[in-house]
Amino acid sequence: MNWWCFAQPGTAWTWQWQPLIGVWLAIVLLVWVYRRVLSRTDDSYESSRLRKSRRVAFALAIVLLWASLDWPLGPLGASYLASVHMVQFLVVGIAAPALLLLALPTAAYEPLRRYPRLIKALSDLTHPVSAFFIFNIVMTVTHWPGVVDLLMPTQMGSFVLDIAWMLGGLIFWWPLIVPVPERPGFHPLGKIAYLALNAFLIRPPFAMMIFSESPIYAIYELAPPPARDALNDQQLAGAVMKIGSAWIMFAAVLVIFRHWMLAESDRPESA
Amino acid sequence: MSYQIKPPLKLHSLAFALILFSSVSSCGIPADGDSVGELRGTVMEVPILKPDLVLTDMEGRLYDLRAETDGYLSLVFFGYTNCPDVCPVHMATLAGVFDELAPEVRDAMKVIFVSTDPERDTPDRLRQWLGAYHPSFLGLRGEMATINSALAEMKLPGVAVVPGQHGSGPNIGHPSAVLAFGRDGLARVRYPFGARRADWVNDLPLLLSESP
Repeated sequence: MNWWCFAQPGTAWTWQWQPLIGVWLAIVLLVWVYRRVLSRTDDSYESSRLRKSRRVAFALAIVLLWASLDWPLGPLGASYLASVHMVQFLVVGIAAPALLLLALPTAAYEPLRRYPRLIKALSDLTHPVSAFFIFNIVMTVTHWPGVVDLLMPTQMGSFVLDIAWMLGGLIFWWPLIVPVPERPGFHPLGKIAYLALNAFLIRPPFAMMIFSESPIYAIYELAPPPARDALNDQQLAGAVMKIGSAWIMFAAVLVIFRHWMLAESDRPESA
Repeated sequence: MSYQIKPPLKLHSLAFALILFSSVSSCGIPADGDSVGELRGTVMEVPILKPDLVLTDMEGRLYDLRAETDGYLSLVFFGYTNCPDVCPVHMATLAGVFDELAPEVRDAMKVIFVSTDPERDTPDRLRQWLGAYHPSFLGLRGEMATINSALAEMKLPGVAVVPGQHGSGPNIGHPSAVLAFGRDGLARVRYPFGARRADWVNDLPLLLSESP
């Protein structure tokens, strides 16, 4: 029995269900932590609509994570189809971290202020410039062919890649979503620029996936059916990575823009 | 409290260097990082002579392997169309290779798929299955005794039939490597499962130039 999905080169795909215990445990752990944080946080100051939205965000994150990591998408993405692997990346590395951060009430982040060293570390780590570089380095390294072919064939390696995506995503979204540490200078226009830059940036793995004449990942090239033309699948994966992440960034830009406009309209006019 | 856009310098210098490195190093390297200009297949100490094998092609005509492939670089593989793993991967890889090769290299080569499951691999089935990969791939079939004799002649393991489970057809054990017979009829290099498209694209022109 496997605890995490991993690449098994040369092994034929089967539609026979297989349990992935580690994925279930991770999902249960996330739910448990969320409920615990909520039980210790007074979020009554937030409107019931906002509280409901946060719970919906959490439920959506959990469903997306579970669906993308468990059978069948988990093994398909780990071992057979690079395009499915990129869908997993969009979920684990971009969408789910944003939803998880949004799922917590603002008050849940307040206790962090009690730890000056942690605040200092967070201040550096989640500084927009740091976050931008950390996210892009993590995404570049975790999609690098040598790294993928080295780590994906083991459960631990595959798990490490997923955790790296999740952490990279959390760091990326932190300065946009989390109020601690405060960043009053991070103007909405700066946030929009931050997102736009990430949406349009051409990372090396994307360029390799789209423009390489040969498949760059051995695990997908040597995968038996349902994998078929590894080069087409790889190009589709590149498109999923780029277009998918750009749409998520674009949606976030719209949300930030809307909040900005609402805040501006609420501001009392100066005499 | 004023907010300063002053990131920790060391971290960002490192990050910038890493991104710059990854951008530069991603340009123009082979997919698997192997060297260009050297054979990447497994070079055999003792070359294998192309077997004296007369089989039936997908149209039901007799096909003399030596005579029909004389003067060509011949990639010969023993497998079966119901194979769940090695055979489809080799064929898909070679199909991709054919798309990438120069026409003069492609025209000097033949890909021969010898069925190790002649009962299920009918001519129609072979034509349909191989045609899905590449129209130029040729399927051959014959008696199992003939196939096993040819494998023995090449000092390769014979065909092993393993009964299938849950009502599925039998699984057929067969050699997993593709043999590359040069124009002189000798195979000096073989390509086990794991050979990648970039390996083939690198090796095939070399093999053609080595056996004029």
